[in-house]
Amino acid sequence: MSSRGCRGGWIRYLTSLALLVTSSFVIWGGFVEGIWLTIPASGTKCVSEEIQSGIVVLADYYIVDDDHAHLRTSSISSRVTSPFGNNLHHDENVTHGQFAFTTTEGGNYLACFWIGGQHQEAAGLTIGLDWKIGVAAKDWDSVAKKDKIEGVELELRKLEGSVEAILKNLIYLKNREAEMREVSEKTNARVAWFSIMSLGVCILVSVLQVAYLQRFFQKRKLI
Amino acid sequence: MWIDRRCLDVALVVSLVLTSSSFITRTSSLSVTVNEVECVYEYVLYEADTVSGNYVVVDHDIFWGSDHPGIDFTVTSPSGNNVHTKKGTSGDKFEFKAPRSGMYKFCFHNPYSTPETVSFYIHVGHIPNEHDLAKDEHLDPINVKIAELREALESVTAEQKYLKARDARHRHTNESTRKRVIYYTLAEYLLLACASGLQVVYIRRLFSKSFGYNRV
Repeated sequence: MSSRGCRGGWIRYLTSLALLVTSSFVIWGGFVEGIWLTIPASGTKCVSEEIQSGIVVLADYYIVDDDHAHLRTSSISSRVTSPFGNNLHHDENVTHGQFAFTTTEGGNYLACFWIGGQHQEAAGLTIGLDWKIGVAAKDWDSVAKKDKIEGVELELRKLEGSVEAILKNLIYLKNREAEMREVSEKTNARVAWFSIMSLGVCILVSVLQVAYLQRFFQKRKLI
Repeated sequence: MWIDRRCLDVALVVSLVLTSSSFITRTSSLSVTVNEVECVYEYVLYEADTVSGNYVVVDHDIFWGSDHPGIDFTVTSPSGNNVHTKKGTSGDKFEFKAPRSGMYKFCFHNPYSTPETVSFYIHVGHIPNEHDLAKDEHLDPINVKIAELREALESVTAEQKYLKARDARHRHTNESTRKRVIYYTLAEYLLLACASGLQVVYIRRLFSKSFGYNRV
């Protein structure tokens, strides 16, 4: 980036400086980790994640500044819904926002973004979304300040947190697998039972048919 | 001359920014609904970073699930080259070394009209090498070992997320099978009873007075 700016003249230097400022804003502004999504001009873009209960969710979203005109006139709106339909967060016409909540029920959490505001963009908009759950959402700066640890010890604490999260996830996966195995075995038993019963239903219905027709013909004095 | 000096400052600021952020790992895990093409962008800070991840198509109640061709996955580097491609799968793990730093584009392409939900996880991992050690005096060799440990734990976490997504897909299939077993069997019994009822009605009509039973 910097070598490109050095080779050219004023304009190139300014461009590289603008890029540097943007990238350092992205890196220093706290919006470090995250993906970019494109929101279509009309309609909503939704992202979801299946989260178990009792997990902290922390998210930041912001409009990515492709050119300065966008930043001034456009705004996004967002809504976050829980799996049971409760509205956890709702924002209209902002350029950046954040939401944080602790999940109370396990299921699919949905975050939807759409372009709000009067100015309808002809093309879509790019937003950056920084979505952290569980141990990644933990505020390590406050832990470091509280316990007065830093450097290598802080890194090792983070690794310890990561290992605990892995263990919790493993137990969760094991429980899910056990639930699914029960459903599978019940379905397996039902398939066998229903197939035999279908044979029984077939025989029953044909016996009823024959009995009814016999009675019918006897009444008509044909037999 | 004046521009060269400014360029030096810019280079200094850039290197300061990059080295101070050497402990940052980037992780994103989400699900998106793919109608035709959905692209997700992720920034890779350093060249030769390992970008790893996985994606799973969560079953969307397609009737003939096994006939579905799957979705295509492509990764494009900031210079427009295709870094990684996988066509026609319902889920995969990927890993590659980023040829350069910049904004990478991860695209899912759905060749069919039914929308699919894709659950993906992207992780950009950086291990400081001797070059970074020489540049920043705050980095010890122990930081390299910690970074390696962190990357190993991240790979375990990535595998767990992949398993979780696959488990979700399996659960959808199981639920669908359970529902199909119950409803299709009930429908089958009802249809059987209806068919035999219709048979009886038809035979009755054949022998009714208006037809004349000596015709039969």
